Amino acid sequence: MPAVQAKSISCPNCGGPVALRGFAHTLSVVCPQCMTVLDASTPEVQILQTFQGKTRTQPTIPLGSRGKIGDTQFEVIGFQIRQVDSGEDTYQWDEYLLFNPYRGFRYLTEYNGHWNFVNVESALPEPSRSAGKLAMRFGGKTYLSFDSMTASTVYVLGEFPWRVSVGDSIACQDFVAPPSMLSSESTSGEITWSRAEYMPGSQIWQTFKLPGSPPPAYGIFANQPSPYGGSVGSAWRTWLWLNVALAGLAFLFMIISPGHVAFSDHYAYSQNVRSDAAFVTPTFQLDGRDSNVDLSIHTDLENNWAYFSFALINDQTGQTFDFAREVSYYHDSDGSEGSRNNSVIIPSVPSGQYYLRVEPEMAAGSPDVRYELELRRNVPNYGFFGLAALLLLIPPVLTTFRKGSFEAARWRESDYAPSSSSSGGDD
Amino acid sequence: MNTALFVIYGVLLLGVTGVAEYRGWSWSRINQQRVLPKSIRDNPGAYRSSYGGYSRYIGGK
Amino acid sequence: MSSPAANCPNCGAPVKFLWSSAVQTTCEFCHSILVRTDVDLKKVGEVADLPPDASPLQIGSEGAYQNKSFVVVGRIIYEYEQGTWNEWHVVYNDGTSGWLADAQLEYDLSWAAQPPTPLAGADDIRQGQTYQWNGKTYQVTSRTRAHYKGVQGELPFQYWDKSDLLFADLRTSSGEFATIDYSENPPLLFLGRAVEFDELHLKNLREFEGWT
Repeated sequence: MPAVQAKSISCPNCGGPVALRGFAHTLSVVCPQCMTVLDASTPEVQILQTFQGKTRTQPTIPLGSRGKIGDTQFEVIGFQIRQVDSGEDTYQWDEYLLFNPYRGFRYLTEYNGHWNFVNVESALPEPSRSAGKLAMRFGGKTYLSFDSMTASTVYVLGEFPWRVSVGDSIACQDFVAPPSMLSSESTSGEITWSRAEYMPGSQIWQTFKLPGSPPPAYGIFANQPSPYGGSVGSAWRTWLWLNVALAGLAFLFMIISPGHVAFSDHYAYSQNVRSDAAFVTPTFQLDGRDSNVDLSIHTDLENNWAYFSFALINDQTGQTFDFAREVSYYHDSDGSEGSRNNSVIIPSVPSGQYYLRVEPEMAAGSPDVRYELELRRNVPNYGFFGLAALLLLIPPVLTTFRKGSFEAARWRESDYAPSSSSSGGDD
Repeated sequence: MNTALFVIYGVLLLGVTGVAEYRGWSWSRINQQRVLPKSIRDNPGAYRSSYGGYSRYIGGK
Repeated sequence: MSSPAANCPNCGAPVKFLWSSAVQTTCEFCHSILVRTDVDLKKVGEVADLPPDASPLQIGSEGAYQNKSFVVVGRIIYEYEQGTWNEWHVVYNDGTSGWLADAQLEYDLSWAAQPPTPLAGADDIRQGQTYQWNGKTYQVTSRTRAHYKGVQGELPFQYWDKSDLLFADLRTSSGEFATIDYSENPPLLFLGRAVEFDELHLKNLREFEGWT
């Protein structure tokens, strides 16, 4: 049996040649010379529509281009521009008709640099609900309602297996499950479902071997896959494990930093005493590595303050750590302010024999205060663990925020955007 | 990819925390002096603390 | 599978049957529609030139569905508002027959079936109506007025020059397909499913210029 011949016809309007790449499937074709829409369903080619008043647009992928998507080679045989007028906004997108004589027809859509590969589906989606929103279940995925609109054809080129005419309009509804999108098109009683898969521009350029580079994609498209995919979940899981490790580290230091008391005594300070307030403690031993020293002050202050300046002095080397602390405690029938106690951690104290120089100070006329000083060697500094826990929060919070921003940008283009205007592009 | 970066960040953080704990670091403002004359032990009043003389120093932990 | 050859009563050319249970066939040479009686072939009509169509299938194409191989032995061509489609008559290797619809290269296999529930009449069938058959919900997806364009090859029944054609297609959420043919009374039901080109492992297909 001889191969089916590719046909070419003569345009009845201008006489120019019109190639038919779709064989006998082509019902309407646009004459590339005079832009008249022709009825190619019968051998007597008739004029369907004279196509006027529009400047010529060159489709980004030229008609006749061939490219392999999946296992199948397709040829671009048709092109149309669709338009939606939604109150304040008008936006357009391009559609390409792809053809393979055995596997049939597919479509490519392009909007603002976002491309989709579209296949008509035979099975019916099942209506459902998800997160309080209308959704469709199809092929094991749940597609959330995104938007609906009326789209009309404003420009056509090439061939179509149906009778196309500029001005045709259809009602569309889109449901998304990125990177897929389910769309319904309804005309006079028949609903057609198709499924789109998001395709990066670079893949289109590679498939059809187009020159240059693909136009940049603006904004976030309805079914554009999120670069944050499952990373939010994995970020929080990683965070959990890092916190477990941090807790383990804290537990470890709880054990190896026993904080045993190197020195402890109690004193009284009286303003009445004539002699100098400053005094020194007996010497005590601080051993082990250069760990910290925790000095805590416990007083019996009542509605007063006391100021202590300290010096921790190495008896052998004379190395001195100079510091001070204020303790203040006030209370009345409404509540209290401050605390009777305070403490300080002295960092990296080398081991050796030490004594403490203490100089208390109070406001003139204050009553006597009794206080206790306790020096503990090598205590865990929980402040560092607290800080580490806080810093560990940054990456998962950042990722969650970024993903949230991305999804918010996506849904801002839908019919469900928080603002009242339903602007934005889609398909 | 991001998980790997996060883990590296976390391990570094834990490492620094461990070193800080081990070396006994602290946030407190401590002034260090090299050598102090022995006589201070006998005469504590002669020592001039860097923190002395403030009538109300807002310090604390 | 084949039976003794006979001769076309119109032009005398030899007529070979690929399928022993064929009720009707067409003569390759004179395009007469021939019906099999007990003893011989009777001419009942003629097929005008078939409209040009671009189905990759042809009589003699072979394929297999779920390990049952089949041969394409005949077809009915319909035309409707949006073009034409073919109902290819296929015969399986166990002698049973079924249909492979090719509508703009969307393929649906089906077999004649007894309606499990009564079918709505031609005036009552509406888009969106549902039927519960074999545990699946079938929904009417299209209601198509078509006209008969021609026949070719072997068919399991007598079918020619039909004037009043209404079809209703039904689909499920898992890919099942059904069609109700209102050209007969009571209407005929065919149950089946949508299939992908690759699922059928088709061979001996038509070739297209410029496509290897």
